[in-house]
Amino acid sequence: MSQIRTRFFIAVSVAVLLAGSAGLYAGKYNQVVDIGAPLPQFSNLPAIDGSTLSSSDLKEDVVVLVFLANHCPWVKGMDGDLVKLVDQFKGRSVRVVGVAVNHREEDRLPAMKQHAAQFGYNFTYVYDESQDLGRKLGATHTPEYFVFNKQRKLVYTGAIYNSPAQMRTDGSVNYTRGIPTELYVKDAIEAALAGKPAPVAETAAQGCTVEYEKTGSK
Amino acid sequence: MRRSIPELGLILVLAVAGGFADKPALRAQSKPIALQPVTFAQWQQKLAGYRGHIVVVDFWATWCGPCVERFPHMVELYQKYGKDGKIRFVSMSLDDPSDGPALQHAEEFLVKQNAVFDDFRMDEIIPDAFEKLAILGIPAVFIYDGSGKLRYRLTGDNPNRQFTNEDVDNAIKDLLAGSK
Repeated sequence: MSQIRTRFFIAVSVAVLLAGSAGLYAGKYNQVVDIGAPLPQFSNLPAIDGSTLSSSDLKEDVVVLVFLANHCPWVKGMDGDLVKLVDQFKGRSVRVVGVAVNHREEDRLPAMKQHAAQFGYNFTYVYDESQDLGRKLGATHTPEYFVFNKQRKLVYTGAIYNSPAQMRTDGSVNYTRGIPTELYVKDAIEAALAGKPAPVAETAAQGCTVEYEKTGSK
Repeated sequence: MRRSIPELGLILVLAVAGGFADKPALRAQSKPIALQPVTFAQWQQKLAGYRGHIVVVDFWATWCGPCVERFPHMVELYQKYGKDGKIRFVSMSLDDPSDGPALQHAEEFLVKQNAVFDDFRMDEIIPDAFEKLAILGIPAVFIYDGSGKLRYRLTGDNPNRQFTNEDVDNAIKDLLAGSK
């Protein structure tokens, strides 16, 4: 009888472990990480100003990574609001880092420099040729935000706000759901600075699909 | 006439993709193509009307570079499998319904591509369309079997499982083998 109980216990334990590991990091939309995931370590990513950036360089209380792609009209649509967001937190312990990972020429460093100048980027913008950072965070669309708190745990991932903005072919910006009313990233940063959880922890980061190289598939 | 950088970019992308139309099988047709607007609910009804056929749905938009680049493959598949009607090929544009020039570009692109299958556009705000389709972005290809069941849902929503043209080919072959 005790043998049966032992086998049953082992079976239940294995089942719980399997169920737990399957859903350990996958979020509601993000298929790789969930809230609470650690900031992946990265080193010496080249930035548009000629410097390099490593995760160990990030000393601020709140770190925001935003995956960008120069060619993407959903990035261009919210670029102005991203710049304003960075300005809003000037003088506070917040670091915003733009990350590009696509291998298209128009998304690589030379084009990143032009794009940053054109849109007045006021934050560090790095290129991850290896695409490792994007893969580790499950970043699949641009623009896609990841907010980390002082403990470098993920507290928010998803869109900047609730009305994705698209730049049209005539250069105008169309807020698809009108003027944004829920500022997810701003609210998440404020909450993280106050040591509180984000009011909304995950949203769908809709936009242009990040193109991962097949050779790097895991 | 001065053009904005985004506009020039779109023209370049369309021009590059349009280059595929030089292939003999894909030579441009002169007949205009009018995108059929469908809401998500109407699209569900349309899908039900395809029952009895394998259906390949290509979700694309003129603003999506990879979609535009992949589109010729969909036309090639139509040439290979779609002409006898056993497999129905559908293009579903997710261009902004309120952006007239974008929709016009989309129709011109389809003409260049000789996309003589069923060409729809989703008459929804783009983020709403994504939500209703339960995708985060495009390109995406959905493939239904003859019973109307969604058998392949090919998206870019996982960095380690993004689909390729080969995945679309294999899915079609798989469903064809199963329907014999």
